[in-house]
Amino acid sequence: MKQILVLWPSFLVAGIAEMVFFTVMDPQQLYLFGQPVEFSPIATYSIGFFGFWLVCAASSLLTMFFLRPGEEINQAGKHAR
Amino acid sequence: MTNPAPQPIKIVPSKKSAALEGQEGSLYESRKKIYVRAISGVFTNWRWILVWVTQILYYGLPWMSWNGRQAVLFHLVERKFYIFGWVFWPQDVFFLAILLIISAYALFFFTAIAGRLWCGYACPQTVYTEIFMWIEEKIEGDRNKRMKLDKAPMSGRKFGIKAVKHAVWGAVALWTGFTFVAYFTPLKELLASFVPFSFGGWEIFWILFYGAFTYFFAGIMREQVCKYMCPYARFQGVMFDPDTLVITYDEERGEPRGARKKGVEPASVGKGDCVDCGICVQVCPTGIDIRDGLQYECIGCAACIDACDEVMDKMNYPRGLIRYSTENAIKKHWGRKEILGHVMRPRTLIYGGILAAVCLAFVWGLATREPLRLDIIRDRTTLSREVAGGFIENVYQLQIMNMTEAPRRFSVTVDGLEGIRFADFDGQVDVPPASMQALTLQVQVPVDTGEPGSSNVIHFELKANDDASVAVREASTFLLPR
Repeated sequence: MKQILVLWPSFLVAGIAEMVFFTVMDPQQLYLFGQPVEFSPIATYSIGFFGFWLVCAASSLLTMFFLRPGEEINQAGKHAR
Repeated sequence: MTNPAPQPIKIVPSKKSAALEGQEGSLYESRKKIYVRAISGVFTNWRWILVWVTQILYYGLPWMSWNGRQAVLFHLVERKFYIFGWVFWPQDVFFLAILLIISAYALFFFTAIAGRLWCGYACPQTVYTEIFMWIEEKIEGDRNKRMKLDKAPMSGRKFGIKAVKHAVWGAVALWTGFTFVAYFTPLKELLASFVPFSFGGWEIFWILFYGAFTYFFAGIMREQVCKYMCPYARFQGVMFDPDTLVITYDEERGEPRGARKKGVEPASVGKGDCVDCGICVQVCPTGIDIRDGLQYECIGCAACIDACDEVMDKMNYPRGLIRYSTENAIKKHWGRKEILGHVMRPRTLIYGGILAAVCLAFVWGLATREPLRLDIIRDRTTLSREVAGGFIENVYQLQIMNMTEAPRRFSVTVDGLEGIRFADFDGQVDVPPASMQALTLQVQVPVDTGEPGSSNVIHFELKANDDASVAVREASTFLLPR
C-alpha cells in the first residue's frame, strides 16, 4: 500500500512536469555535463519523464517517512533492543 | 561522571500498525473482488454509445490522412502538433493552456449540473473497464458463473478459460498501447517497423508501458482507480450543491424494504417499494449500496437505475425508485419541472459564463492566429563594424516560421534609419511548408546617421508574396559606435 502511495501521485505530477518542461525546452538544446545531449528526442523525453518521476517519488517517499507517528518509531526502537 | 539512568520510554501499543499488517499484499485497502452483474437499460445504452464514439475516435484517428500526412499527430521529434488543418508549434502553448482551462471548466460545469457525468459515461477508466468486463462476461459467463469459476479449484478447464480471457485482454491492451504511440510517432513508420519487427527501443517500451497500464487499470484495478487514484473523485464534492442531479434512492418511497410476492401492493404488507433484491448492489461497479445515500465512491454510472427500473417493471411498480434527482427535489417533493427550473443558478451560471468566455477566446485566437512568426536576434559577437564605402554594419539572425503547410516566399524589408540597406541580399526568402528558416542578414547604414549607442530602433518587416495580409513587423536595435 505504501509503494502505491509513493508511486502514483509522483507519476501524476511527473506527467505534468514533463509536459510543462518540454513545452518550454527543446530536448535538442539541452546540455549534459557540458556536452550537447546526443540521445534521440524520444529517448530524451522518456528519460526526462522517468527522471521527473524519480524526483517526485523521492519527495513522496520523504512525506511518507515523516508521516510515521511517534509511537511507531518508539515501537521500532523497542524491537531493536 | 555518572550516566543518568535511561529514561523509560512509555510504549503505547499502536492499533494502527496492527490494522496495517492485515492489509499487506494488497495495493490499497484490502478489497473484496467485485463481481459486477451485467445490465441493460437506457443509461447503459448511453454508456455504450459513448464507448463506441470515443473508441472509434481513439483507435481511428491515427489512420486518417490530411494534406498527405497523418491528420492528428503530436510529432515529438519535430516538436509540432498536427491537428487536421492546423500545425501547432511550441510557441502556441497558449492554446494548450486555454484548452486545459476549457476542460477544467467543462468538468466543473457538468458536475454542478448533473454530478459525475464524465466518470459515469466518458472517462477512459470507465470506458475500458466496460470493454474489459464485456470480454470477461463473454468468456467466463455471467456473474454467478464467474463467482463459481473463481471458487473452483484450479483445473484444466479453469486454466484454459482464464488464459483465454487474459490473452484477449492483453491483445486489446497492446493494440491500445500501439495506438497511443501512433499519436506521437507517425503511424506509417510504426507500421513499417512491424514486418521486420524493428521498432525503436523506446517505441516498444511505451507500447508495452501504456498497454500494461490499460490491462491493469481496466482488467485488475477497476473501481480502485476511481476510489483511490483519481484526484477528481476526491474533490468533486465541492462542485455539488443541493440542486445537483445525482443518483438517488428515494428512501421515503422505498422504506421499509423487504421481500414480498409479485404483484403485492406494498402498503398492504406494511412495506415500501424496495423489494430488497440487492440487484442494485450487484450491478454497481464500485460495489456500494446506493440505498445508503450518496457516497464518494459512486461514479454516477446509473447502472443501479437501470437495474431497479427493470425490477420495478417486473413488480408492476412505477419506475424511478432509484433515479437522477437532487437533494432539494427529494426533500421538497419536486417534480421534473422544478428540478429543471433550478438548473440555472449562480453556480452554474458562473461556471457556464467562464466556460463560454474561454471557448470564445480559444476560437478567436485560432481564427486570428498569424500563420507567420519572426524572431530577431542581433549578433552579439560582432557588434558593429565599419565596412568599405562609409557604412556601419550590424549582423542579425532572423528566424522565420512558416506555420502553413504550403511553401511560401516572403519579402523582407528594413526601416527606421536613413539610408538603411541590406548587404548581399535581394530581400526574398523561401520558407518550406511548416518549417523554420534561419537567415543571417548584414544590415548597413551610412556612417553619419543615427545616434551613437544602442538607442536606434529599426523594424524588420516580412510579407508573404502571395498574400499581403500575411505580414509581421518586429523591432530590433541598431548599434552605432560612440
